[in-house]
Amino acid sequence: MKNFSLSDKAFDVINTIFLLIILVLVVYPLIFVLSASISDPAAVSSGKMWLWPVDITFKGYERVFADNAIWRGYGNTIIYTAVGTAIHLFVLLPCAYALSRKELMFKKGILWFILFTMLFNGGLIPTYLVVKSLGMLDTMWAIVIPNVVGAWSILVARAFFQQSIPDQLVEASKIDGASDFYIFIRVVLPLSLPIVAVMALFHAVNLWNQYFNALIYLSDRDKFPLQLILREILVVNQMQLNDPGAGVAESLVDQVKTAGLIKYAVIIVSSLPLLLVYPFIQKYFVQGVLIGSIKE
Amino acid sequence: MKTAKADVKLPTHKRIEAVKKNLQRNWQIYIFLLPAVIYFIVMHYVPMYGVQIAFKDFIATKGIWGSPWKGFDHFIRFFDSYYFWRLLKNTIILSGYQLILFPLPIILALSLHEVKNGWFKKWAQTLTYAPHFISVVVVVGMIVIFLDPTTGLVNRLIVAFGGDPIPFLTSPKWFRHVFTWSGVWQTLGWGSIIYLAALSGVNPELHEAAKVDGASRIQRILHINIPSILPTIVVLFILNIGSFMTVGFEKVLLMQNDLNVSTSDVIQTFVYQTGLLEGQYSFAAAIGLFDSVINITLLVMFNYLARKATDSSLW
Amino acid sequence: MRFKNIVFLLLAASLIVMLAACSDDDETDAGGSEEALDNLNEEGMPIVDEEIELEIFAGKAATTADDWNDVLLLNEYEEMTNMNITWNQVAADGLDEKRNLALASGDLPDAFYAANIPVSDIQKYGDQGTFIPLNDLIEEYAPNISKVLDENPDIRKGLTFPDGNIYSVPTVYSPDFESLLIGAKGWVNGDWLEQLDMDNPETTEEFYEYLKAVKETDLNGSGENDEIPLSSVAEMSRIIHWISGAFGVQNKGQLHTLIDEDPDSGDIRFFPIHEQYKEMLEYLNRLYDEGLIEESIYSLEVDQHLANAADNLYGAVQFYNPIELYGEEVGSQFIPGNALEGPDGTKMYTGITSPLRSLGNFLITSENENPEATLRWIDYFWSDEGSKMFFMGIEGVTYEETEDGPELKDEITDNPDGLTLTQALAEYIINPGGNHPVMVTDDYFTGSENAPTDIEAVEEIEPYLIDEIWPAFTYTAEENDDISVLETDLDKYVSEMQAAFITGEKDFSEWDDYVEQVESMGLDDYMEIQQAAFERYKEN
Repeated sequence: MKNFSLSDKAFDVINTIFLLIILVLVVYPLIFVLSASISDPAAVSSGKMWLWPVDITFKGYERVFADNAIWRGYGNTIIYTAVGTAIHLFVLLPCAYALSRKELMFKKGILWFILFTMLFNGGLIPTYLVVKSLGMLDTMWAIVIPNVVGAWSILVARAFFQQSIPDQLVEASKIDGASDFYIFIRVVLPLSLPIVAVMALFHAVNLWNQYFNALIYLSDRDKFPLQLILREILVVNQMQLNDPGAGVAESLVDQVKTAGLIKYAVIIVSSLPLLLVYPFIQKYFVQGVLIGSIKE
Repeated sequence: MKTAKADVKLPTHKRIEAVKKNLQRNWQIYIFLLPAVIYFIVMHYVPMYGVQIAFKDFIATKGIWGSPWKGFDHFIRFFDSYYFWRLLKNTIILSGYQLILFPLPIILALSLHEVKNGWFKKWAQTLTYAPHFISVVVVVGMIVIFLDPTTGLVNRLIVAFGGDPIPFLTSPKWFRHVFTWSGVWQTLGWGSIIYLAALSGVNPELHEAAKVDGASRIQRILHINIPSILPTIVVLFILNIGSFMTVGFEKVLLMQNDLNVSTSDVIQTFVYQTGLLEGQYSFAAAIGLFDSVINITLLVMFNYLARKATDSSLW
Repeated sequence: MRFKNIVFLLLAASLIVMLAACSDDDETDAGGSEEALDNLNEEGMPIVDEEIELEIFAGKAATTADDWNDVLLLNEYEEMTNMNITWNQVAADGLDEKRNLALASGDLPDAFYAANIPVSDIQKYGDQGTFIPLNDLIEEYAPNISKVLDENPDIRKGLTFPDGNIYSVPTVYSPDFESLLIGAKGWVNGDWLEQLDMDNPETTEEFYEYLKAVKETDLNGSGENDEIPLSSVAEMSRIIHWISGAFGVQNKGQLHTLIDEDPDSGDIRFFPIHEQYKEMLEYLNRLYDEGLIEESIYSLEVDQHLANAADNLYGAVQFYNPIELYGEEVGSQFIPGNALEGPDGTKMYTGITSPLRSLGNFLITSENENPEATLRWIDYFWSDEGSKMFFMGIEGVTYEETEDGPELKDEITDNPDGLTLTQALAEYIINPGGNHPVMVTDDYFTGSENAPTDIEAVEEIEPYLIDEIWPAFTYTAEENDDISVLETDLDKYVSEMQAAFITGEKDFSEWDDYVEQVESMGLDDYMEIQQAAFERYKEN
């Protein structure tokens, strides 16, 4: 016994050191960005600032908060993320649950039907035409509908249901006369909060950071999500550089000055909401562990 | 599964009978499938008719149906192209590299799971997930900042230790490492979530029993935790294989320049370039189709192997 | 069974939706209807009596106002013309994608404005009827554009496709406005030349000596050897614009990146496999290898470049006006660089574009019911009056007439809110920035190419400027199909190998393999098409 607890202690120490190293590697670049966001841009680009802020200035944040486009993008992104995640769960969870039930017939066929979409798609133009014909061009639906759910999520959620929801439980409820709807909502979902939280978070992050659909489907600037605005700010306009329209010189300076000033601030401001939301969702992971220990 | 197999042996009319009975009893779970099925049909299966442009010469005014057939011309052009082998090689190496690093999130999850101090665990989790919340554009921007040959921190360190600065961003040799490891940085913590969730479902009684038997921590990880999450691991691994030929093109595109293109040119970026930027839709569709076919082949193959070897598989 | 039926029904339903969407048949009709013509005034303002609506797909430069509907110029012009434009503005980032999708899906606006449509796409979609031919319309309804085309037969030549059609209103830089045609220029740090007691380099060898001296001397007094001898932005092409003339390559201007004229025979040649081109790469390789060119040049972002400039690190740059870009303090150190003389005595300056700057910036689609009015809409900006309005804005608001011609008001040039010139102008006009389908002249142009030091730089270069600058060639439908494939491959390979040779990634011992590879990539076919296009260009 004693030997084991000694080696357990050694394990704890090594494990902690290992995690600390990883933490430093992961966190350092983030601290850098945070410090850079309140440092003088010149100090940052010349490399004088490497960990803590140098010549502290909040100009970047002032500019960000004064920018209407960023606020509007922010609002849009929040709406798209909330609506998109809700639809995602509505489509994903019942489907994954159904696929985990052994009563389901044609399971193999349905799985293939879903899996196939992961491997094979018609390409952008036909998808664009469908989005267009459904009247979703330049609306929120073009952002939230085309990638509502991936085969990947369904398979993972299904695997979770298979492992975590005991057949006896469902059968017992059925014998008690409960309908499948009732069982799913009242019995299965409460037991599945970990996967709900994980899936919601996965999808929300994708929605929050995606810009490709917005780039393709939206043209009204008032509907642009934050990432598209961010991209306009961060990606210095290569096309303009390579094929400069007349009088591009001053405009370059303007653009670069603005970008240099608000680049880091905008990174922080755009990433912060998700970082702040996460700890609240993390609670469900803890709960998931508790439920896992009661079950069986 | 067992009932389904029993069905097969039944005569046809009995099978129909069984199906009817099943539907009567379980119709609600079929309704559960409905939203997803509608979605997949409309957003995925309907557009699949567009695949035909790979065999056609797409002319916008004539539409997809009306464009003239071209047979395998686009495929032949791709296979004959100077870039074909390079694209294939780059794609395979880049994907393979990422696949080799597939166990890293598992290791992190196992390690985090062992932490007893709740406060440290919570912070460690939250912090390692953080990079995932940053978009690709920003990550590439950060890579450029950190790896700049003169002002970048990494090269300053190298020079401080007496080395020569390394042109990470413009060297074909370094592209793969920078791409892959920056990806690890970004997804390591996030990728571990799913395994942590799976680990949280491991029956604690197993651990209690093992403790009584005198198993050490490492033994318990190896013999209880890993086997418990193995089905999750296998499923995720197969899914990764299924997208083997699909490298995140946005990030590659952002990191690509004339100097590293000999290793950074992958099928996805080539499709994007020829398709969306140059408007050669048919050619791009043919390349995309080729890519999909390889993905499907790999997936089916690995799923078969996984089923034989571990008993867990996608289907 | 029931389940299968449901699936079937759904599948069928969605197919019908899809087919309905695809079978939208639109009749194409080149000219406007009679109704539209009745509404049109052939001269003067307003252009139409009854207000008409147009939807225009526009490439929007980042420097212009977020919403063009709020821009004074366009609002005033709407009043004048009675034409209400709905601007579908697309930022430069994502422009190619959105434009291609619009063209491919048949989701067409009435016109494309500043959308940078490549020549091959103009040909392709013109041939398919998506864009309407403008020859007759220009003749009849666009007197100002006609005038420019008549005065500059070269521009008309370059604009006309082999089928005889003109599909677009181009962006034209006035042939007299050499500073703009050259664009970014070479600059040498004059203060440092003095410190080093050197003359402004006249030859490539002197240039090398100067860069080397910069590298070895602490000229900015920072206490360390942090000087960067030569820099630019957007990879190596700008530096090549400066020096390619010394090696006699790309000798018909920068619009043609693969072909130029063989000085001996007068035929077209594929210069990237030529010995002179190799010499140029060897020269650049020497500079790069010895650390005389900014090492990160292939990934250098503008902000980094400007930061380095602000630290006074640069010995020479090839970029826009240094005073405008780097500010007075650092920028005024720079003096115009010379056209350089090569090792074999060649001395010319080839980094200049054709006055026909780009073709694809104003095209009218088959959806447009008022092509005549649309053309008149743009034509006004080609008149002297319209041009002034386009570049300077509204008299009394943005500019005042003075004895020396119109001048921007102080609120614009020295904005009380601290806005830069470009920012101050954004509220009123949609320039600078963007490829506008107008003629840019030095009379009203407010960009840095009109700055005094830029004009001075042109005077230095002027005697060595190449005489003939080729515009982009146009191809027949058949040629177009082939050449777009060949050129994509060749261009990609050549530019990759150029970078590899310069940085030393590839050794010059592999030069022959490179040439062989180029030849095996369909070079003969490519040159055959270019030859035909060239002959057409010569004949017209």
